[in-house]
Amino acid sequence: MTARLSVTLKINGAERTAAVRPFDTLLTTLREDLALQGSKRGCNQGVCGACTVLIDGRPVRSCLSLTANCVDAEVTTIEGLAPEGRLCAIQKAFVETGAVQCGFCTSGMLLAAHACLQSNAKPTADDVKRALSGNLCRCSGYKKIVDAVLLAAEGGI
Amino acid sequence: MVAALHRPETLAEALGLLANEGARAISGGATLVAMMNASLAEPSVLVSLARISELRGFSRLPDGTARIGAMRLHRETAEESDLRDGQLIVALAARQIANATVRNMGTIGGSISFADPAADYPPALVAAHARVEIAGPAGRREVAAQEFFTGWYETALQSGEIVTAVLIPPAPAGTVAHYEKLARVSGDFAIASVAAVLQISGGRPAHVCLAIGGCGPAPVRVDAAEELLVSEGLTQAAIARAGDLIASHLDPLDDTRASADYRRKVVPRLLAKTLTALSRQPTDMS
Repeated sequence: MTARLSVTLKINGAERTAAVRPFDTLLTTLREDLALQGSKRGCNQGVCGACTVLIDGRPVRSCLSLTANCVDAEVTTIEGLAPEGRLCAIQKAFVETGAVQCGFCTSGMLLAAHACLQSNAKPTADDVKRALSGNLCRCSGYKKIVDAVLLAAEGGI
Repeated sequence: MVAALHRPETLAEALGLLANEGARAISGGATLVAMMNASLAEPSVLVSLARISELRGFSRLPDGTARIGAMRLHRETAEESDLRDGQLIVALAARQIANATVRNMGTIGGSISFADPAADYPPALVAAHARVEIAGPAGRREVAAQEFFTGWYETALQSGEIVTAVLIPPAPAGTVAHYEKLARVSGDFAIASVAAVLQISGGRPAHVCLAIGGCGPAPVRVDAAEELLVSEGLTQAAIARAGDLIASHLDPLDDTRASADYRRKVVPRLLAKTLTALSRQPTDMS
């Protein structure tokens, strides 16, 4: 059995310590060691976007990020978007618009959308589509997801 | 061997670690970790290049050459406002890699070291006459991009060597660039792509460099097609003949994205689209 090493990560503003294997991905650490299961394991290949988290405010694939390489970074997971259970504007817009079906892609969509609005407060529909183009949804036609992000950007929530 | 991840802070330290049997360099992880997740790669020792500051920067050398550090993210290269004129081809290619999330992870050094023939940087670097800066146990060396990509997923890198930077030489005044990519869906690897850098003088191409991606083990350049466009100008007839010449030199495969025949048919059309777009671009010299 491979020896584990203790790493301390800054996740959602708090320091969390985990005993990880050298090649564990951030997704594995979040889900299996830290009980943060909002980040989903879809393809585990960096294609689907369900595992998207923010590192230093920018969206990345947690399934392709080695945990031991994240010790200097600020990690934000979906659990960090709604501290104390209060939904953020984008989450409320997803509820309002009906942008959630099975929900598997939703946490990755929300974090990619959050990063999109952080860098561009007034995106066009095309801007939103480009920002979310790395996040796959197999239930919907994406329209309600894009509508939700635009609704949040308009401050309509 | 016990699995280990090293995170050196200097290039010398990294090269020392990479000299060990079974050690592999990891940059952004966008490809290598995906392969590890699929059990296609099982390295015993990984040497992360993430903390080596000299691999991260973008700088301009006194002669106008743009130096892009190997660990520069695709996003950073895509947004690099200092890449202009002919050098812009590298930023144009970076903007078409995968999606915003992957562009926050992947690096130019990692991408070209993996050397997927359908990736965006290889044709762009060839069209830009780029050089690849390499460091290894025997010191530093430079290889022209055209000689760097040697085969299907093969490069000029020797054991223990890594890419440290990509050098983009300055382009003469009046140089314009265009990257045309055909993919099944946004963010996929190319079915085929055309990277074009043209110097336009008095409304005519004085210099043409075209590199085709996704249609062979390495980017394809056809001197005769480039010379034809310089001698005859960007007429419809010359563009069609150049397209046919290039198509006859391609070495594509049938794969999940498209058949080899389809690639041979579509490249002349992509070339025509590219040259039409470029002939409409304003230049200082035209």
